[in-house]
Amino acid sequence: MRVLGIETSCDETGVAVLSTGWHLESSVVESSMALHRDFGGVVPELAGRAHVETIGPTVRAALAQAGLDVRAPQLDAVAVTTGPGLVGSLLVGLAAAKAYALAWDVPLVAVNHLEGHLYAPLLESPDLAWPLLTLLVSGGHTQLVLVEAPGHFTVLGETIDDAAGEAYDKVARWLGLGYPGGPPIDRLAGTGDPTALTLPVSMTGEGLDFSFSGLKSAVVRAGERHAVAAADVAAAFQGAVVEQLTRKMVQALGRHRVAGVALAGGVAANRALRAATAAIAAERGIAAHLPSPAYCTDNGAMIAAAGLVHLAAGDVAGLDVGADPTWALGA
Amino acid sequence: MILGIETATTACAAGLAAGERRVESLLASDRRHVEVLVPGIQSLLAAWPATLGDVTRIVVDHGPGLFTGLRVGIATAVALAEATGAELVGVTSLEVYAAEAAARGVTGSVVAVVDGRRGELFAQSFTLGDAVVARDIPRVVRPRDLAEHWAGAAAPVTFVGDGAVRYASDLGAVPGATCLEVAWPSVETAMAIGAQRDPSPVHPLYLREADAVANFPTRPWP
Ligand SMILES: [Zn+2]
Repeated sequence: MRVLGIETSCDETGVAVLSTGWHLESSVVESSMALHRDFGGVVPELAGRAHVETIGPTVRAALAQAGLDVRAPQLDAVAVTTGPGLVGSLLVGLAAAKAYALAWDVPLVAVNHLEGHLYAPLLESPDLAWPLLTLLVSGGHTQLVLVEAPGHFTVLGETIDDAAGEAYDKVARWLGLGYPGGPPIDRLAGTGDPTALTLPVSMTGEGLDFSFSGLKSAVVRAGERHAVAAADVAAAFQGAVVEQLTRKMVQALGRHRVAGVALAGGVAANRALRAATAAIAAERGIAAHLPSPAYCTDNGAMIAAAGLVHLAAGDVAGLDVGADPTWALGA
Repeated sequence: MILGIETATTACAAGLAAGERRVESLLASDRRHVEVLVPGIQSLLAAWPATLGDVTRIVVDHGPGLFTGLRVGIATAVALAEATGAELVGVTSLEVYAAEAAARGVTGSVVAVVDGRRGELFAQSFTLGDAVVARDIPRVVRPRDLAEHWAGAAAPVTFVGDGAVRYASDLGAVPGATCLEVAWPSVETAMAIGAQRDPSPVHPLYLREADAVANFPTRPWP
Protein backbone atom coordinates (compact mmCIF):
# COMPACT_ATOMS: atom_id res chain seq x y z
CA MET A 1 0.00 0.00 0.00
CA ARG A 2 1.12 3.52 -0.76
CA VAL A 3 -0.18 6.65 0.96
CA LEU A 4 0.21 10.38 0.36
CA GLY A 5 0.44 12.31 3.66
CA ILE A 6 -0.53 15.99 3.88
CA GLU A 7 0.26 18.11 6.94
CA THR A 8 -0.81 21.76 7.32
CA SER A 9 -1.73 22.10 11.01
CA CYS A 10 0.64 24.96 11.82
CA ASP A 11 3.32 26.76 9.81
CA GLU A 12 4.69 23.82 7.81
CA THR A 13 3.23 22.54 4.55
CA GLY A 14 4.46 18.95 4.57
CA VAL A 15 3.71 16.33 1.94
CA ALA A 16 5.20 12.83 1.66
CA VAL A 17 4.73 9.47 0.00
CA LEU A 18 5.12 6.38 2.17
CA SER A 19 4.56 2.73 1.30
CA THR A 20 4.11 -0.49 3.26
CA GLY A 21 7.11 -1.32 5.41
CA TRP A 22 7.42 2.35 6.38
CA HIS A 23 9.32 2.88 3.16
CA LEU A 24 9.61 6.63 2.65
CA GLU A 25 9.53 7.45 -1.06
CA SER A 26 9.55 11.23 -0.72
CA SER A 27 9.07 14.04 1.76
CA VAL A 28 8.85 17.76 1.04
CA VAL A 29 8.36 20.47 3.68
CA GLU A 30 7.74 24.17 3.00
CA SER A 31 7.83 26.34 6.11
CA SER A 32 6.43 29.82 6.61
CA MET A 33 8.49 30.22 9.81
CA ALA A 34 10.38 33.22 8.43
CA LEU A 35 7.10 35.16 8.13
CA HIS A 36 6.34 34.71 11.83
CA ARG A 37 9.74 35.60 13.35
CA ASP A 38 8.95 39.27 13.96
CA PHE A 39 5.77 38.39 15.85
CA GLY A 40 7.26 36.05 18.41
CA GLY A 41 4.95 33.22 17.42
CA VAL A 42 3.01 31.73 14.56
CA VAL A 43 0.47 34.23 13.20
CA PRO A 44 -2.53 32.09 12.15
CA GLU A 45 -3.67 34.28 9.26
CA LEU A 46 -0.15 34.45 7.79
CA ALA A 47 0.21 30.67 8.11
CA GLY A 48 -3.14 30.12 6.34
CA ARG A 49 -2.11 32.48 3.55
CA ALA A 50 1.17 30.65 3.06
CA HIS A 51 -0.46 27.19 2.94
CA VAL A 52 -2.86 28.09 0.14
CA GLU A 53 0.09 29.20 -2.02
CA THR A 54 2.32 26.20 -1.24
CA ILE A 55 -0.11 23.27 -1.10
CA GLY A 56 -0.33 22.55 -4.85
CA PRO A 57 3.41 22.91 -5.60
CA THR A 58 4.35 20.87 -2.50
CA VAL A 59 2.09 17.96 -3.46
CA ARG A 60 3.43 18.06 -7.00
CA ALA A 61 7.03 18.11 -5.69
CA ALA A 62 6.46 15.19 -3.31
CA LEU A 63 4.88 13.09 -6.08
CA ALA A 64 7.67 13.98 -8.51
CA GLN A 65 10.31 13.07 -5.92
CA ALA A 66 8.63 9.66 -5.58
CA GLY A 67 8.54 9.29 -9.36
CA LEU A 68 4.74 9.49 -9.46
CA ASP A 69 2.50 11.27 -11.96
CA VAL A 70 0.15 13.85 -10.42
CA ARG A 71 -2.59 12.76 -12.88
CA ALA A 72 -2.36 9.06 -12.03
CA PRO A 73 -0.17 8.62 -8.95
CA GLN A 74 -0.88 4.95 -8.07
CA LEU A 75 -1.76 5.72 -4.47
CA ASP A 76 -4.05 3.76 -2.16
CA ALA A 77 -5.13 6.69 0.02
CA VAL A 78 -4.65 10.33 0.86
CA ALA A 79 -3.99 10.91 4.57
CA VAL A 80 -4.39 14.39 6.00
CA THR A 81 -4.10 16.07 9.38
CA THR A 82 -7.58 17.14 10.51
CA GLY A 83 -6.51 18.28 14.00
CA PRO A 84 -5.36 19.52 16.39
CA GLY A 85 -3.98 22.75 14.99
CA LEU A 86 -4.80 26.18 13.61
CA VAL A 87 -8.20 25.93 11.94
CA GLY A 88 -7.30 28.23 9.04
CA SER A 89 -4.25 26.11 8.28
CA LEU A 90 -5.94 22.73 8.75
CA LEU A 91 -8.71 23.71 6.30
CA VAL A 92 -6.26 24.28 3.43
CA GLY A 93 -4.68 20.84 3.68
CA LEU A 94 -8.03 19.17 4.25
CA ALA A 95 -9.69 20.89 1.27
CA ALA A 96 -6.82 19.91 -1.01
CA ALA A 97 -6.66 16.35 0.35
CA LYS A 98 -10.37 15.82 -0.37
CA ALA A 99 -9.97 17.16 -3.90
CA TYR A 100 -7.04 14.83 -4.59
CA ALA A 101 -8.90 11.87 -3.07
CA LEU A 102 -11.91 12.58 -5.30
CA ALA A 103 -9.80 13.10 -8.43
CA TRP A 104 -7.66 9.99 -7.87
CA ASP A 105 -10.63 7.97 -6.62
CA VAL A 106 -8.90 6.81 -3.43
CA PRO A 107 -10.05 6.90 0.20
CA LEU A 108 -9.34 9.79 2.53
CA VAL A 109 -7.80 9.08 5.94
CA ALA A 110 -8.21 11.68 8.73
CA VAL A 111 -5.11 11.80 10.93
CA ASN A 112 -4.57 13.23 14.40
CA HIS A 113 -1.41 15.35 14.16
CA LEU A 114 -0.12 14.13 17.54
CA GLU A 115 -0.60 10.50 16.57
CA GLY A 116 1.48 11.26 13.49
CA HIS A 117 4.35 12.42 15.71
CA LEU A 118 4.28 9.06 17.52
CA TYR A 119 5.21 7.25 14.28
CA ALA A 120 8.17 9.48 13.35
CA PRO A 121 10.69 6.90 14.76
CA LEU A 122 9.43 4.38 12.14
CA LEU A 123 10.63 6.62 9.33
CA GLU A 124 14.24 5.98 10.30
CA SER A 125 13.90 2.63 12.11
CA PRO A 126 11.22 0.65 10.23
CA ASP A 127 12.02 -2.51 12.19
CA LEU A 128 11.95 -0.99 15.69
CA ALA A 129 10.62 -3.04 18.60
CA TRP A 130 7.48 -2.01 20.46
CA PRO A 131 6.31 -0.85 22.93
CA LEU A 132 7.83 2.61 23.15
CA LEU A 133 7.61 5.29 25.77
CA THR A 134 7.38 8.47 23.70
CA LEU A 135 7.89 12.00 24.95
CA LEU A 136 6.08 14.33 22.58
CA VAL A 137 7.39 17.86 23.09
CA SER A 138 6.70 20.84 20.85
CA GLY A 139 5.60 24.45 20.91
CA GLY A 140 2.01 23.36 21.36
CA HIS A 141 2.21 20.02 23.18
CA THR A 142 3.98 18.17 25.98
CA GLN A 143 2.79 14.59 26.47
CA LEU A 144 4.19 11.31 27.69
CA VAL A 145 2.65 8.47 25.66
CA LEU A 146 2.93 4.71 25.98
CA VAL A 147 2.79 3.36 22.41
CA GLU A 148 2.11 -0.40 22.59
CA ALA A 149 2.17 -0.66 18.77
CA PRO A 150 1.07 1.51 15.84
CA GLY A 151 -2.57 2.35 16.43
CA HIS A 152 -2.48 1.45 20.12
CA PHE A 153 -1.35 4.02 22.64
CA THR A 154 -2.18 5.56 26.01
CA VAL A 155 -1.48 9.12 27.12
CA LEU A 156 0.24 8.79 30.52
CA GLY A 157 0.72 12.46 31.27
CA GLU A 158 0.58 15.93 29.74
CA THR A 159 1.23 19.54 30.58
CA ILE A 160 -1.28 21.25 32.82
CA ASP A 161 -0.31 24.71 31.52
CA ASP A 162 2.32 25.74 28.95
CA ALA A 163 3.95 23.37 26.48
CA ALA A 164 7.71 22.97 26.90
CA GLY A 165 8.37 24.64 23.56
CA GLU A 166 6.10 27.54 24.54
CA ALA A 167 8.21 28.08 27.70
CA TYR A 168 11.34 28.09 25.53
CA ASP A 169 9.80 30.71 23.24
CA LYS A 170 8.78 32.94 26.15
CA VAL A 171 12.14 32.77 27.90
CA ALA A 172 13.93 33.39 24.59
CA ARG A 173 11.74 36.42 23.98
CA TRP A 174 12.60 37.76 27.44
CA LEU A 175 16.29 37.20 26.76
CA GLY A 176 15.90 38.92 23.37
CA LEU A 177 16.91 35.79 21.50
CA GLY A 178 14.08 35.87 18.97
CA TYR A 179 11.66 33.24 17.76
CA PRO A 180 11.65 30.25 17.77
CA GLY A 181 13.34 30.09 21.16
CA GLY A 182 14.57 26.50 21.27
CA PRO A 183 17.68 26.60 19.10
CA PRO A 184 19.21 29.85 20.51
CA ILE A 185 18.63 28.80 24.14
CA ASP A 186 20.10 25.38 23.39
CA ARG A 187 23.21 27.04 21.87
CA LEU A 188 23.57 29.64 24.64
CA ALA A 189 23.03 27.07 27.39
CA GLY A 190 26.15 25.24 26.25
CA THR A 191 28.30 28.17 27.39
CA GLY A 192 26.44 28.99 30.63
CA ASP A 193 26.58 27.84 34.24
CA PRO A 194 23.30 26.19 35.21
CA THR A 195 24.05 26.60 38.94
CA ALA A 196 24.26 30.41 38.69
CA LEU A 197 20.49 30.48 39.13
CA THR A 198 18.38 28.29 41.39
CA LEU A 199 15.04 27.45 39.80
CA PRO A 200 12.15 25.62 41.44
CA VAL A 201 11.66 21.91 40.82
CA SER A 202 8.08 21.52 39.55
CA MET A 203 5.70 18.57 39.63
CA THR A 204 7.57 16.52 42.21
CA GLY A 205 4.70 14.10 42.88
CA GLU A 206 3.93 10.64 41.53
CA GLY A 207 1.75 11.95 38.71
CA LEU A 208 3.11 12.09 35.16
CA ASP A 209 1.75 15.51 34.23
CA PHE A 210 4.03 18.45 33.46
CA SER A 211 4.01 22.16 34.30
CA PHE A 212 6.22 24.89 32.83
CA SER A 213 4.49 28.18 33.52
CA GLY A 214 5.92 28.51 37.07
CA LEU A 215 9.39 27.86 35.74
CA LYS A 216 9.20 30.64 33.18
CA SER A 217 7.99 33.10 35.84
CA ALA A 218 10.78 32.03 38.20
CA VAL A 219 13.35 32.69 35.49
CA VAL A 220 12.10 36.24 35.10
CA ARG A 221 11.93 36.90 38.86
CA ALA A 222 15.46 35.58 39.39
CA GLY A 223 16.74 37.52 36.41
CA GLU A 224 15.20 40.74 37.68
CA ARG A 225 16.52 40.36 41.26
CA HIS A 226 20.16 40.30 40.29
CA ALA A 227 22.16 40.46 37.13
CA VAL A 228 22.60 37.01 35.65
CA ALA A 229 24.39 36.39 32.37
CA ALA A 230 21.99 35.36 29.60
CA ALA A 231 24.01 32.19 29.06
CA ASP A 232 23.56 31.24 32.71
CA VAL A 233 19.81 31.90 32.52
CA ALA A 234 19.61 29.74 29.41
CA ALA A 235 21.64 26.96 31.03
CA ALA A 236 19.61 26.99 34.25
CA PHE A 237 16.28 27.14 32.39
CA GLN A 238 17.18 24.37 29.97
CA GLY A 239 18.51 22.29 32.84
CA ALA A 240 15.24 22.63 34.73
CA VAL A 241 13.10 21.80 31.66
CA VAL A 242 15.14 18.74 30.78
CA GLU A 243 15.22 17.64 34.43
CA GLN A 244 11.41 17.70 34.66
CA LEU A 245 10.91 15.98 31.30
CA THR A 246 13.38 13.20 32.05
CA ARG A 247 12.26 12.74 35.68
CA LYS A 248 8.73 11.99 34.45
CA MET A 249 10.15 9.72 31.75
CA VAL A 250 12.08 7.76 34.40
CA GLN A 251 8.97 7.57 36.63
CA ALA A 252 6.98 6.17 33.71
CA LEU A 253 9.73 3.65 32.89
CA GLY A 254 9.43 2.39 36.47
CA ARG A 255 5.80 1.48 35.80
CA HIS A 256 5.83 0.27 32.18
CA ARG A 257 8.10 -2.25 30.49
CA VAL A 258 9.08 -0.93 27.06
CA ALA A 259 11.56 -1.84 24.34
CA GLY A 260 12.63 1.74 23.85
CA VAL A 261 12.14 5.42 24.52
CA ALA A 262 11.46 7.97 21.80
CA LEU A 263 11.37 11.71 21.39
CA ALA A 264 8.96 13.49 19.06
CA GLY A 265 8.01 17.08 18.26
CA GLY A 266 10.10 20.18 17.63
CA VAL A 267 11.71 20.25 21.10
CA ALA A 268 13.01 16.73 20.39
CA ALA A 269 15.76 18.47 18.40
CA ASN A 270 17.10 19.90 21.69
CA ARG A 271 20.62 18.57 22.30
CA ALA A 272 20.41 18.42 26.10
CA LEU A 273 17.13 16.51 25.95
CA ARG A 274 18.52 14.08 23.38
CA ALA A 275 21.64 13.44 25.46
CA ALA A 276 19.64 12.88 28.64
CA THR A 277 17.20 10.56 26.86
CA ALA A 278 20.01 8.54 25.31
CA ALA A 279 21.60 8.17 28.77
CA ILE A 280 18.32 6.96 30.32
CA ALA A 281 17.94 4.35 27.59
CA ALA A 282 21.55 3.21 27.79
CA GLU A 283 21.29 2.77 31.57
CA ARG A 284 18.34 0.41 31.08
CA GLY A 285 19.62 -1.34 28.00
CA ILE A 286 16.68 -0.26 25.85
CA ALA A 287 16.62 1.54 22.50
CA ALA A 288 16.63 5.33 22.21
CA HIS A 289 14.81 6.69 19.15
CA LEU A 290 15.92 10.25 18.56
CA PRO A 291 14.55 11.24 15.14
CA SER A 292 16.56 13.50 12.84
CA PRO A 293 15.47 17.14 13.15
CA ALA A 294 13.52 16.84 9.87
CA TYR A 295 11.27 14.20 11.47
CA CYS A 296 11.08 15.86 14.90
CA THR A 297 9.36 18.90 13.41
CA ASP A 298 6.08 18.73 11.48
CA ASN A 299 6.20 16.82 8.21
CA GLY A 300 3.97 14.88 5.82
CA ALA A 301 5.82 11.57 6.31
CA MET A 302 4.55 11.03 9.85
CA ILE A 303 1.00 11.79 8.66
CA ALA A 304 1.42 9.27 5.86
CA ALA A 305 2.63 6.74 8.46
CA ALA A 306 -0.48 7.29 10.57
CA GLY A 307 -2.45 7.06 7.31
CA LEU A 308 -1.00 3.60 6.59
CA VAL A 309 -1.92 2.45 10.12
CA HIS A 310 -5.53 3.60 9.78
CA LEU A 311 -5.92 2.46 6.18
CA ALA A 312 -4.77 -1.04 7.16
CA ALA A 313 -7.43 -1.00 9.90
CA GLY A 314 -10.10 0.10 7.40
CA ASP A 315 -10.47 3.37 9.23
CA VAL A 316 -11.18 5.81 6.41
CA ALA A 317 -13.05 9.13 6.50
CA GLY A 318 -15.95 10.43 4.46
CA LEU A 319 -15.37 13.34 2.08
CA ASP A 320 -17.64 15.37 4.40
CA VAL A 321 -15.19 15.18 7.33
CA GLY A 322 -14.41 18.50 8.99
CA ALA A 323 -11.35 19.85 10.77
CA ASP A 324 -11.15 19.48 14.56
CA PRO A 325 -8.75 22.15 15.88
CA THR A 326 -8.82 20.75 19.44
CA TRP A 327 -8.76 17.00 18.68
CA ALA A 328 -7.09 15.39 21.70
CA LEU A 329 -4.76 12.42 21.23
CA GLY A 330 -6.68 9.20 21.79
CA ALA A 331 -10.09 10.89 21.68
CA MET B 1 -17.30 20.91 -19.21
CA ILE B 2 -16.82 23.73 -16.69
CA LEU B 3 -16.84 23.21 -12.91
CA GLY B 4 -17.64 26.30 -10.85
CA ILE B 5 -16.69 26.79 -7.20
CA GLU B 6 -18.07 29.50 -4.92
CA THR B 7 -16.83 29.97 -1.33
CA ALA B 8 -16.34 33.73 -0.95
CA THR B 9 -19.24 34.28 1.45
CA THR B 10 -20.77 32.23 4.25
CA ALA B 11 -22.45 30.27 1.44
CA CYS B 12 -20.78 27.41 -0.38
CA ALA B 13 -21.98 26.53 -3.88
CA ALA B 14 -20.81 24.60 -6.91
CA GLY B 15 -21.99 24.24 -10.46
CA LEU B 16 -21.43 22.53 -13.79
CA ALA B 17 -21.85 23.91 -17.30
CA ALA B 18 -21.55 22.33 -20.74
CA GLY B 19 -23.09 23.65 -23.93
CA GLU B 20 -26.41 25.26 -23.07
CA ARG B 21 -26.89 23.21 -19.93
CA ARG B 22 -26.01 24.66 -16.52
CA VAL B 23 -26.65 23.54 -12.96
CA GLU B 24 -25.85 25.21 -9.69
CA SER B 25 -26.29 23.90 -6.17
CA LEU B 26 -26.19 25.76 -2.86
CA LEU B 27 -24.39 23.28 -0.61
CA ALA B 28 -24.47 25.17 2.70
CA SER B 29 -24.97 28.71 3.89
CA ASP B 30 -23.28 28.50 7.29
CA ARG B 31 -19.54 28.48 6.59
CA ARG B 32 -19.22 24.68 6.37
CA HIS B 33 -17.28 25.06 3.11
CA VAL B 34 -14.71 22.34 3.78
CA GLU B 35 -17.35 19.80 4.80
CA VAL B 36 -19.74 20.28 1.88
CA LEU B 37 -17.71 21.41 -1.14
CA VAL B 38 -16.09 18.18 -2.37
CA PRO B 39 -19.13 15.97 -1.59
CA GLY B 40 -21.25 18.58 -3.39
CA ILE B 41 -19.04 18.44 -6.50
CA GLN B 42 -19.24 14.66 -6.37
CA SER B 43 -23.07 14.68 -6.28
CA LEU B 44 -23.34 17.28 -9.05
CA LEU B 45 -21.16 15.12 -11.29
CA ALA B 46 -23.15 11.99 -10.45
CA ALA B 47 -26.46 13.72 -11.17
CA TRP B 48 -25.32 15.19 -14.53
CA PRO B 49 -24.02 12.35 -15.13
CA ALA B 50 -20.33 13.09 -15.73
CA THR B 51 -16.94 12.47 -14.18
CA LEU B 52 -14.09 14.77 -13.18
CA GLY B 53 -12.36 13.57 -16.34
CA ASP B 54 -14.98 15.48 -18.35
CA VAL B 55 -14.08 18.76 -16.61
CA THR B 56 -11.78 20.83 -18.81
CA ARG B 57 -11.97 24.11 -16.91
CA ILE B 58 -12.42 25.04 -13.25
CA VAL B 59 -13.75 28.51 -12.45
CA VAL B 60 -13.28 29.62 -8.86
CA ASP B 61 -14.35 32.81 -7.10
CA HIS B 62 -11.08 34.11 -5.63
CA GLY B 63 -12.61 36.93 -3.64
CA PRO B 64 -12.72 39.31 -2.03
CA GLY B 65 -14.64 37.65 0.78
CA LEU B 66 -14.39 35.34 3.75
CA PHE B 67 -10.66 34.49 4.06
CA THR B 68 -11.05 30.89 5.20
CA GLY B 69 -13.79 30.28 2.64
CA LEU B 70 -11.60 31.60 -0.18
CA ARG B 71 -8.76 29.33 0.90
CA VAL B 72 -11.00 26.27 0.96
CA GLY B 73 -12.36 27.06 -2.51
CA ILE B 74 -8.97 27.85 -4.01
CA ALA B 75 -7.14 24.90 -2.39
CA THR B 76 -9.88 22.62 -3.74
CA ALA B 77 -9.76 24.17 -7.21
CA VAL B 78 -5.95 24.06 -7.36
CA ALA B 79 -5.83 20.41 -6.27
CA LEU B 80 -8.55 19.38 -8.74
CA ALA B 81 -6.80 21.25 -11.55
CA GLU B 82 -3.44 19.66 -10.68
CA ALA B 83 -4.92 16.17 -10.54
CA THR B 84 -7.08 16.40 -13.68
CA GLY B 85 -5.12 18.79 -15.87
CA ALA B 86 -8.14 21.08 -16.15
CA GLU B 87 -7.53 24.79 -16.78
CA LEU B 88 -7.91 27.09 -13.79
CA VAL B 89 -9.65 30.47 -14.02
CA GLY B 90 -10.35 32.99 -11.24
CA VAL B 91 -13.24 35.44 -11.16
CA THR B 92 -13.91 38.05 -8.46
CA SER B 93 -16.95 37.95 -6.22
CA LEU B 94 -17.58 41.61 -7.09
CA GLU B 95 -17.69 41.14 -10.86
CA VAL B 96 -19.99 38.16 -10.40
CA TYR B 97 -22.40 40.24 -8.31
CA ALA B 98 -22.30 43.05 -10.92
CA ALA B 99 -22.96 40.60 -13.75
CA GLU B 100 -25.82 39.12 -11.72
CA ALA B 101 -27.37 42.61 -11.45
CA ALA B 102 -27.00 43.01 -15.22
CA ALA B 103 -28.66 39.64 -15.76
CA ARG B 104 -31.62 40.91 -13.73
CA GLY B 105 -32.00 43.91 -16.01
CA VAL B 106 -30.25 46.55 -13.90
CA THR B 107 -28.52 49.34 -15.85
CA GLY B 108 -26.48 52.39 -14.85
CA SER B 109 -24.37 52.67 -11.70
CA VAL B 110 -23.94 49.49 -9.70
CA VAL B 111 -21.81 49.00 -6.63
CA ALA B 112 -21.03 45.38 -5.78
CA VAL B 113 -20.52 44.96 -2.03
CA VAL B 114 -19.24 41.93 -0.14
CA ASP B 115 -19.49 41.79 3.64
CA GLY B 116 -15.87 42.22 4.74
CA ARG B 117 -16.72 41.84 8.46
CA ARG B 118 -15.45 44.18 11.19
CA GLY B 119 -17.93 46.79 9.97
CA GLU B 120 -16.35 47.01 6.53
CA LEU B 121 -17.31 46.21 2.96
CA PHE B 122 -15.29 45.03 -0.01
CA ALA B 123 -16.66 47.18 -2.83
CA GLN B 124 -16.26 47.96 -6.52
CA SER B 125 -18.25 50.27 -8.82
CA PHE B 126 -19.48 49.29 -12.25
CA THR B 127 -21.47 50.83 -15.07
CA LEU B 128 -23.99 48.46 -16.57
CA GLY B 129 -25.16 48.97 -20.14
CA ASP B 130 -24.37 46.80 -23.14
CA ALA B 131 -21.52 45.44 -21.03
CA VAL B 132 -20.43 45.36 -17.39
CA VAL B 133 -17.66 47.96 -17.12
CA ALA B 134 -15.60 48.36 -13.92
CA ARG B 135 -15.17 52.00 -12.87
CA ASP B 136 -12.60 51.43 -10.12
CA ILE B 137 -10.72 48.61 -8.45
CA PRO B 138 -11.90 46.46 -5.53
CA ARG B 139 -11.35 48.24 -2.20
CA VAL B 140 -12.27 48.25 1.48
CA VAL B 141 -14.83 50.84 2.60
CA ARG B 142 -17.08 51.49 5.60
CA PRO B 143 -20.82 51.24 4.83
CA ARG B 144 -21.46 54.78 6.17
CA ASP B 145 -18.70 56.24 3.99
CA LEU B 146 -20.02 54.46 0.92
CA ALA B 147 -23.54 55.67 1.68
CA GLU B 148 -22.31 59.23 2.18
CA HIS B 149 -20.41 59.18 -1.09
CA TRP B 150 -23.49 58.12 -3.05
CA ALA B 151 -25.77 60.51 -1.18
CA GLY B 152 -23.40 63.29 -2.28
CA ALA B 153 -23.34 62.03 -5.86
CA ALA B 154 -27.14 62.41 -6.02
CA ALA B 155 -27.40 59.83 -8.81
CA PRO B 156 -29.35 56.59 -8.98
CA VAL B 157 -27.30 53.60 -7.87
CA THR B 158 -27.91 49.91 -7.22
CA PHE B 159 -26.07 48.11 -4.44
CA VAL B 160 -25.73 44.37 -4.97
CA GLY B 161 -24.23 41.61 -2.88
CA ASP B 162 -24.33 40.08 0.57
CA GLY B 163 -22.97 43.42 1.85
CA ALA B 164 -26.10 45.14 0.55
CA VAL B 165 -28.21 42.62 2.44
CA ARG B 166 -26.31 43.09 5.69
CA TYR B 167 -26.08 46.89 5.46
CA ALA B 168 -29.46 47.49 3.78
CA SER B 169 -30.34 50.10 6.42
CA ASP B 170 -27.26 52.24 5.62
CA LEU B 171 -27.13 51.74 1.86
CA GLY B 172 -30.90 51.63 1.25
CA ALA B 173 -31.27 55.03 2.94
CA VAL B 174 -29.25 56.73 0.18
CA PRO B 175 -31.65 58.82 -1.98
CA GLY B 176 -32.13 57.13 -5.35
CA ALA B 177 -30.50 53.91 -4.19
CA THR B 178 -31.81 50.38 -4.60
CA CYS B 179 -30.50 47.34 -2.69
CA LEU B 180 -30.71 44.25 -4.87
CA GLU B 181 -31.00 41.10 -2.81
CA VAL B 182 -28.48 38.58 -4.05
CA ALA B 183 -27.23 36.55 -1.12
CA TRP B 184 -24.22 34.86 -2.68
CA PRO B 185 -22.34 35.20 -5.97
CA SER B 186 -24.04 32.98 -8.55
CA VAL B 187 -21.93 30.06 -9.76
CA GLU B 188 -23.75 30.05 -13.11
CA THR B 189 -22.76 33.68 -13.61
CA ALA B 190 -19.20 32.97 -12.46
CA MET B 191 -18.93 30.10 -14.96
CA ALA B 192 -20.26 32.34 -17.76
CA ILE B 193 -17.59 34.98 -16.99
CA GLY B 194 -14.88 32.35 -16.52
CA ALA B 195 -15.69 30.69 -19.85
CA GLN B 196 -14.49 33.84 -21.65
CA ARG B 197 -11.23 34.29 -19.76
CA ASP B 198 -7.66 32.99 -20.24
CA PRO B 199 -6.49 30.51 -17.60
CA SER B 200 -3.98 31.79 -15.04
CA PRO B 201 -2.74 30.97 -11.53
CA VAL B 202 -5.33 31.85 -8.89
CA HIS B 203 -4.58 33.57 -5.59
CA PRO B 204 -6.98 34.80 -2.91
CA LEU B 205 -7.86 38.49 -3.24
CA TYR B 206 -7.75 39.50 0.43
CA LEU B 207 -7.70 43.33 0.12
CA ARG B 208 -6.54 43.45 3.71
CA GLU B 209 -3.25 42.73 5.43
CA ALA B 210 -3.35 39.73 7.73
CA ASP B 211 -4.98 41.16 10.89
CA ALA B 212 -1.98 39.95 12.83
CA VAL B 213 0.34 42.18 10.84
CA ALA B 214 -1.65 45.20 11.91
CA ASN B 215 -2.31 44.31 15.55
CA PHE B 216 -0.73 41.09 16.71
CA PRO B 217 -0.84 41.09 20.53
CA THR B 218 2.86 41.68 21.22
CA ARG B 219 2.31 42.02 24.96
CA PRO B 220 5.61 42.31 26.80
CA TRP B 221 6.69 39.11 28.42
CA PRO B 222 5.96 37.94 31.10
ZN1 LIG C 1 3.66 18.96 15.61
